[in-house]
Amino acid sequence: MALEVSINNTASARGRYVTWAPSPCSIRVSPPFGIPLPLSVTLRNKPGAATKVQFRKSVSGTATATLSLSLSSGARAVSFFISGIYPRASKADRDAVVQVMRGTKVLLEVPLMVRIRKNANKLTASERDRFLAAFAKLNNRGAGRFADFRNMHTEAGRPEAHGAPGFLPWHRAYLADLERELQAIDPSVALPYWRFDQAAPNLFIPEFMGTSSSLGTVSFSATNPLQFWVTDGVPGVIRRPLFNAATQAAFVIDEAATFALGSSYATFRGMEGNPHGNAHTSFGGSIGSVPTAAKDPLFFLLHANVDRLWAKWQRLNNRFDPANATTFSPATGSRVGHNLNDTMWPWNGVVTPPRPATAPGGTLASSPVTGAPGGSPRVRDCIDYQGRLANPTRLGFDYDDVAYV
Amino acid sequence: MSTKKSRTKKKARSKRARPAPSYGDSLRAASDSSLSVKARVAEIDKLTTAVCDDDKVFRATLAILRDSSEPPAVRRAALRTLQASSFSVVAFNRHRSSYLTALRALTGDEDMEIRQSVLGMLARERDGHAQQLLLAGLEDPSKALLPPEKALQLLSYDVHSEAYPVARKIVKKPPNPEAKREALRLLGGDTGSAALFESIFRNKKEDPELRRMSAAALQTLKPSALQEHAREIVLDDKDDDDVRATSLTVLSHFGDAAALGRDEKLRAKTSQLKSGGTSAMKRSAKAFLAKYHDE
Repeated sequence: MALEVSINNTASARGRYVTWAPSPCSIRVSPPFGIPLPLSVTLRNKPGAATKVQFRKSVSGTATATLSLSLSSGARAVSFFISGIYPRASKADRDAVVQVMRGTKVLLEVPLMVRIRKNANKLTASERDRFLAAFAKLNNRGAGRFADFRNMHTEAGRPEAHGAPGFLPWHRAYLADLERELQAIDPSVALPYWRFDQAAPNLFIPEFMGTSSSLGTVSFSATNPLQFWVTDGVPGVIRRPLFNAATQAAFVIDEAATFALGSSYATFRGMEGNPHGNAHTSFGGSIGSVPTAAKDPLFFLLHANVDRLWAKWQRLNNRFDPANATTFSPATGSRVGHNLNDTMWPWNGVVTPPRPATAPGGTLASSPVTGAPGGSPRVRDCIDYQGRLANPTRLGFDYDDVAYV
Repeated sequence: MSTKKSRTKKKARSKRARPAPSYGDSLRAASDSSLSVKARVAEIDKLTTAVCDDDKVFRATLAILRDSSEPPAVRRAALRTLQASSFSVVAFNRHRSSYLTALRALTGDEDMEIRQSVLGMLARERDGHAQQLLLAGLEDPSKALLPPEKALQLLSYDVHSEAYPVARKIVKKPPNPEAKREALRLLGGDTGSAALFESIFRNKKEDPELRRMSAAALQTLKPSALQEHAREIVLDDKDDDDVRATSLTVLSHFGDAAALGRDEKLRAKTSQLKSGGTSAMKRSAKAFLAKYHDE
């Protein structure tokens, strides 16, 4: 008997990570089965599973708690879609389980995870520790792949990523690239975000992003692998909060004020200044300057929040269609790398002026859950991150407070 | 159309065309010394985008920063806003040269916070002038603009800064414990200092914090030696708890899985620590056993 379920178009366990956006799935049966065909099955959540998913017959169909399908023999798979049930994300790998039922009999169980980017201040200890372990491994005493991410965000790369319309898409691609590298180490990891317009007492602690001395030297607990963090050959993190990070927000406008910047991209992208720039300069130390910001692991949580704000703004204003000027503008006329159809450095490998002389890191990391945005993404490929216009363009991540519908 | 009607229409158009209160109001408030410091700081924090968009706003914010008669909190807010604006690289580019010139002029500012922030910003830009000032202060304390520990920390942003010789001197004869720590951190990238870090890591009489920092340095300079020493330290019940927990952490996250999985002596000791150590040791022991022994 062969009953095979593919999630995200793969039978591999590495594809069993879903978000709020529908993931394409299929099921097929091949003989000998011992049961007359066609076979009627029902997909459901395993009773008692910590996390549940929902099913759709088509990407735009109604989400349901169960789904009945008819399977015939041969290689023809029957397609369907799975997604997480907002806002209930998994807390651990494989804590959601899909059962394939024939009547009351369980034919197959498929464990999976609703993997979502969460507020760093609200992670469980286990979620936090898995993230830190993967991050420390990626850094690997300064010798790991993280060095490429550090080197993408330096003085040379400044104009590729800042001060022009491509700021948000570039950083979205950058985070997706890093997150995929983390997931290659531990697929249960999603990049958390630092909600910088709120106090974060569970983030700036020795067990997580560390506490800072008055000098700005960050201390980590003896169990925190970030104590071995190295960048540019020098161990440690320098970060001096200019506010009380445990009890206060950074010197930024809040979320509501960020959205009030405007409902069209041309005005909304002013958030690059405040809250984005203000979040950076709420600290002395590495994160306070463009050439050194990526030396601090907190940088990636800061930018995950910037991206989350963009994602939430997109949903509030229905801004997913790159062809619409209110979604992204101007489409042309900006510095190369910032126009809608431009590929982005460093993933495009272009090292001729005005691009920087080197392109660290190679192409953007692939993912077992989606083929988007491709190894050399264009600006436009980083806009419809949930695949609302075309499901295959989804980027494989979602946020805990930004729904799909 | 009558003159009165056209005047009325003109007024109505002008009213519609007038922008909502925005940068102009914030800039006026930021510069208004009759307002409270808190109110002025709040207005300055709003000017980040305007600094890039409007030359007048940039010049006014820079003027606030430069004016030593302004309250320190207001000047610091101006510095923060200018620095935040500098993240909008393309838009800020035309101001960059004036901004860096202003920062260099402020390296001797009487406000320590501004001096420290400015030197930090310049050090992160790998500004040669700032590096020279910091080094000069370490060589001759009468010229120091910042405490030695801060100067060392800022010099660590550029490992080619020729600071190794002075850092080694400070390790041997530290003016204070923080300076020794920052000197060691700066030397963390110096292959010539590997033996020094090994010696500190293994020395039970040394400050545990420095021993843990030495472990971090050895991770880069001599990782196999670190693994060996870390193992010995975990097995030694007379050693410091935090250093032992750090040692277990380095074995858990960066150790040789095959070798550690076969190490029965280490497994037995770690099992003891899982139930009988400090909370940090228990956690690191638990993580180690879960990873290598499925316990």
